[in-house]
This record gives sequence, structure tokens and C-alpha cells, in this order.
Amino acid sequence: MTAKTLSKENFKKFAENLVKSERTIGVKAKETKYEFGNINNADEIVMDYDVTLRSPRTFFQPPKEKLFDFKLGANTEIKPNIEADPFVLLGIHSYDLKALNQMDIIWDENNADQHYKARRNAATVIALEPTQASEWSFWGSMDSSTVDKGYDLLLTDIGNKYYVEVGTEKGANLLSKYASAEDATNDDNTARDKVRSELPNLCKADRKVKCDTDGITASMKNSYNNAIWEKLAEKCYSCGSCNLVCPTCYCFDVKDTIELDLATGQRTRKWDGCLLEPFAKVAGDENFRENRADRFRHRILRKTVYVADKLNGELACVGCGRCSSTCLPDITDPVKILNELCS
Amino acid sequence: MSKPKIAFFDFAGCEGDQLTVVNLEEALLDVLEHVEIVSFREAMKEHSDDYDIAFIEGSCTRVADEARLKDIRKNAKIVVAIGACATSGGINALKNIRPLETVRKEVYGENWKDYDTYRARGIGEVIDVDYKVYGCPMTQSEFVKVVKSLLTGTQPDIPNYPMCVDCKQAGNVCVFEKGQTCVGPITRAGCDACCVTEGATCWGCRGLVNDPNVDAHKEVLEKYNLSVDELTKRMATYFTNELPKG
Ligand code: SF4
Ligand code: SF4
Ligand code: SF4
Ligand code: SF4
Ligand code: SF4
Repeated sequence: MTAKTLSKENFKKFAENLVKSERTIGVKAKETKYEFGNINNADEIVMDYDVTLRSPRTFFQPPKEKLFDFKLGANTEIKPNIEADPFVLLGIHSYDLKALNQMDIIWDENNADQHYKARRNAATVIALEPTQASEWSFWGSMDSSTVDKGYDLLLTDIGNKYYVEVGTEKGANLLSKYASAEDATNDDNTARDKVRSELPNLCKADRKVKCDTDGITASMKNSYNNAIWEKLAEKCYSCGSCNLVCPTCYCFDVKDTIELDLATGQRTRKWDGCLLEPFAKVAGDENFRENRADRFRHRILRKTVYVADKLNGELACVGCGRCSSTCLPDITDPVKILNELCS
Repeated sequence: MSKPKIAFFDFAGCEGDQLTVVNLEEALLDVLEHVEIVSFREAMKEHSDDYDIAFIEGSCTRVADEARLKDIRKNAKIVVAIGACATSGGINALKNIRPLETVRKEVYGENWKDYDTYRARGIGEVIDVDYKVYGCPMTQSEFVKVVKSLLTGTQPDIPNYPMCVDCKQAGNVCVFEKGQTCVGPITRAGCDACCVTEGATCWGCRGLVNDPNVDAHKEVLEKYNLSVDELTKRMATYFTNELPKG
């Protein structure tokens, strides 16, 4: 579609208008880190962040959500619950949007998930190409510094202004409603191309996956019996932190709870993770992945093989580096693992 | 169907868990729709030995406690340990890391011999326990959850994974990022990591998760410059009885 530009000053006005009129979720400081959250004042918005604590999946698959209320009795009643108020997601980095695009495919598989879809449809996505990388980021070598779909608007910081690529009608309307944007000139196009081509270099030089991304799946398929899993998992807590911060982890656990009247209750689902001990436990206390090493291996193979197979071969690790930074024993960094296992 | 009769008992503890029950207020009235309390020193004078479910708070710290515990076990169909003192020995177990005589002299002075007391233990070391409600004190919501499970004949859903899960769900910045340490990675989740959320760190009052990776955590704590002494203290607060010896 079309391309526009917004001076930094006009962007500020745009953000102010947005916050005033729309439920806006953007990036703000949280102690020494950054986190997506409700924006009440445009001054809170941080546009030059490196990475957020958790991925934006929080807004599409909340940590805990009620699926329906029920009432037991001769005629069991069920009242579905879908919370999907319209919102603007401002400032999601390219790698996180790439992950979100993958999740669109995953949640649409088989029984399309109505809860996810409703929230995805309720979102207007204003993506942002990163201007900083965290010390753990490696999206530069995971084909994730830019993204070509999934956004309504896509912003690139080209110095004194944002280059704004309009992805959808919805994005165009939002922009014309709240901002005075100008048409992009040839110079702007050139400036944007230059910024884009340099994006991968924002990631630190030692944060590179050295193998060709196309060959990763094949190499990883051969790694199943490698001794590395046992060795690394010796230090694993089975704490699931690596799962829960990842933009392409989507597992959940479903529970029914009943009120003290013993008649009404709710079905809820909450985040789960394949590193957790009870994850693969089934009736009769059978556990398909009883050993830490089995669970540890499973996550890495999900990202590089199993989920990739569902995504036409696209790797389900976008290189955000969140798992690497959150893992206290420092064993689960995909860069180290991939560089050791892939030639 | 007649209402199941329930009774509360206390051993060495601060009564914080019984207070949690009293503080249920309205929810307590809902609970009373389904059960009859026949004994509860914290809240009523009457006492009866005719009960189906016994909720026991506190640790076993004396020989005399053992006989009383065994009596309760004999009378009750179901025994529920409530709070850290009862489930693992809790902070009472801190005394177990020092010579008993030293501890007794310190507490009881020259009359120390008149007070028989030994290693503090969770009640599960003396009698069979059917359910455990963790925490110091236990949370109201987990207590109610276990009560509902007892009433419906289902297994209560008590997490068996580390606190870091609750922290991630809450969106906390990990305390290790702030130059502090905690024992969350080996502590059983289930309190929404409330202490970290409120700006403190996790001391592990819910006890160890099953199969905790204690060695890995010692290594991590050393990496974050905790001395061996600090590390031992950190781990001992709630884990003394549960930690593998050595
Ligand atoms: S790999 Fe690291 S973050 Fe993941 S479960 Fe193990 S210790 Fe936790
Ligand atoms: S596996 Fe790690 S680096 Fe890759 S997308 Fe998930 S959290 Fe990010
Ligand atoms: S577990 Fe904690 S709250 Fe309960 S009796 Fe012991 S010290 Fe008190
Ligand atoms: S603060 Fe403690 S419990 Fe929370 S994530 Fe960090 S180590 Fe885990
Ligand atoms: S965060 Fe840790 S110390 Fe605090 S209540 Fe939970 S288990 Fe206990």
C-alpha cells in the first residue's frame, strides 16, 4: 500500500490523540526493564526500547483467562466469555510481529480458537522496526529484523521522522484520523532502505547464529540423541521461564473451578510450558517427558523442527533473546545451542 | 447427607493459619453451609472427638505431640496439614541446624531440662497426611480450594513447578536482575509470587517444589556472589527439613 512519513513532532501528537481516544497498549519502563502495558499518558511511551520483559502475546493469549461460566444441574448452563475490546498495539518490534504472524497460523489450525481470533481482530497493530537491540538479541541472524505482513502501520525511525508504511485500510484510517502525515518522497524511501539494511547489525557481533537458517531444521532433526541435552539440563530448574517469555510459546492448561455453592463455576485456561514437570503428565500419573533433559530438548526442537513443520519450514525462534536472558543457570541460549549443533 | 464434621488442631506454630480461616469471613459462612465445625480452639469453646476431617497446624516438637497426633489420625478419616510448620516444619525447623542442647538453653535458660523438646518436624513425619496446604501462612484461596476438593471428591490443583512461573505470569522483573537473590526457582509456586510482586524476594515459605534442582541453585547463588554462609541461611529459612542432607 502507500507510504507516508510523520515528523517526530507529529508522531507525538499522533500518540497523544491515540491515547486520548483509543485503548492504547504500548511499551513503557518497568523498573530497569521495559514492558507492554496500558498507556494513559503519551509521555509514558518508550519508542527506543531494546526488548520487553514478556512478549506481546500477553494481549492475545493472556496469562489467565476465563473461557466460560457454567452452572451445574439437570440442565447444565454454559455462558461463553470472550474479552476482546478493541485496542491499538503500538510499538511491537518486527521480530515479535513475525512471531505473532506465526501464532495467527497456529491458533487457526484445526479448531480455530475463537478467543485468540477475537482479540487479534480487535487489535490495530502499529509495528516498529527496532532502534536498539538487547545484549541477548539475535534477531539479526534469524531473518527477523523486518517483517512484511501482519501490521496495520509499520514505523521505521529514519532520523528526524518516522517512515510509515500503511499495511491496511484500518491503518490508513487510523493515521488519517489522528495524524497529519505526509507522502513519502524518494529520499524517504532511500533513507528507509538504508536503515533497514543496517538493522541486523544492531545485534551484537557475538550474537550471531553462524549456520544458514535454512539448514537448521535438518541439523536439529539429527540432534535428538546428542549428549548436549543431558549435559545442559543438569542445571535446569524446570522453571518454565524460557517458555513463558517466548513470543512463540502458546501452550496452556485448562482447569474447571467450582464456587463454594458447589453449583456454579468457571472454566479457565492459563499459560503452561513444556519445561514444567507436570506438563506431559496424564491420567494414571504417566509422564511422557519425565526427565529434565527430555523437556529441555523438547523446547529447542519445538522452535526448530516441530512448530517449523507447521509453518512451512519457518523457524519458530525469532531471535528475541528473551529465553537466553531469563534463564538463571544460562543454559538455554539458542545461539550457543544452534552454533554447537548446526554446521 | 449429613454434613462432614471438621476439627482444627494446633501444635508448635503461631496460629497464623487458623487466623487465616477465621479471616475468611463471608467465605467461612459459605464453607459452613457444607461442613460442621466441632472443634476450633481459635474460634470456639466446644470440643468433640467425633470428626471426619482434621486440619492440623504447627510442627511436632515433643514426644507428647506424637501421641496426640496419632490420636487425631485414629479419629479422622482425612488429615490435612495446614501451613509451613505442619507441612515441613517451617521456620521451627531452623533450630534443627544447631545442637539441641544449645537451643534449649537459649530458649528456656537454666530450667531447660524441664522442657522436653526435640527436632521440629512436619506432621507427615509422624502420621500419614492426606493433603497439604502450603505457605506461611497458607493463603485463604488455597485453603478454600482444598476444602472444595474435599467436598467434591476431586484432587486439589496444587502447583508442582517453581515460583518463577508465577513471577512470569505476574510480569515481575526478576530480583536477580536487580542484584538481589531469591529461592523462587526451587520453591513451589501457587501464591502468585506475591512477595516479589510487592517488591520483596521469595523466601520459600511454600516449601520446596518436588524434585528441586538444589545444586543448580547453589551454583547460581554463588555466581551472584552469595557467600556460602549467606547461601546456607537463604536455603535454611524454610527448607531445613526438606533439603537433601550434605
Ligand atoms: S532452561 Fe532455564 S529458563 Fe528454561 S526451565 Fe530450565 S532453568 Fe528455567
Ligand atoms: S526461543 Fe528464545 S530467542 Fe527464540 S523466540 Fe523464543 S524466547 Fe525468543
Ligand atoms: S506455618 Fe507460618 S503461619 Fe502457620 S503456624 Fe507456622 S509460622 Fe504460623
Ligand atoms: S524473582 Fe525469584 S521467583 Fe521470580 S523469576 Fe526471579 S528467581 Fe524466579
Ligand atoms: S513469594 Fe515466596 S515467600 Fe512469598 S508467599 Fe510466596 S512462597 Fe512465600
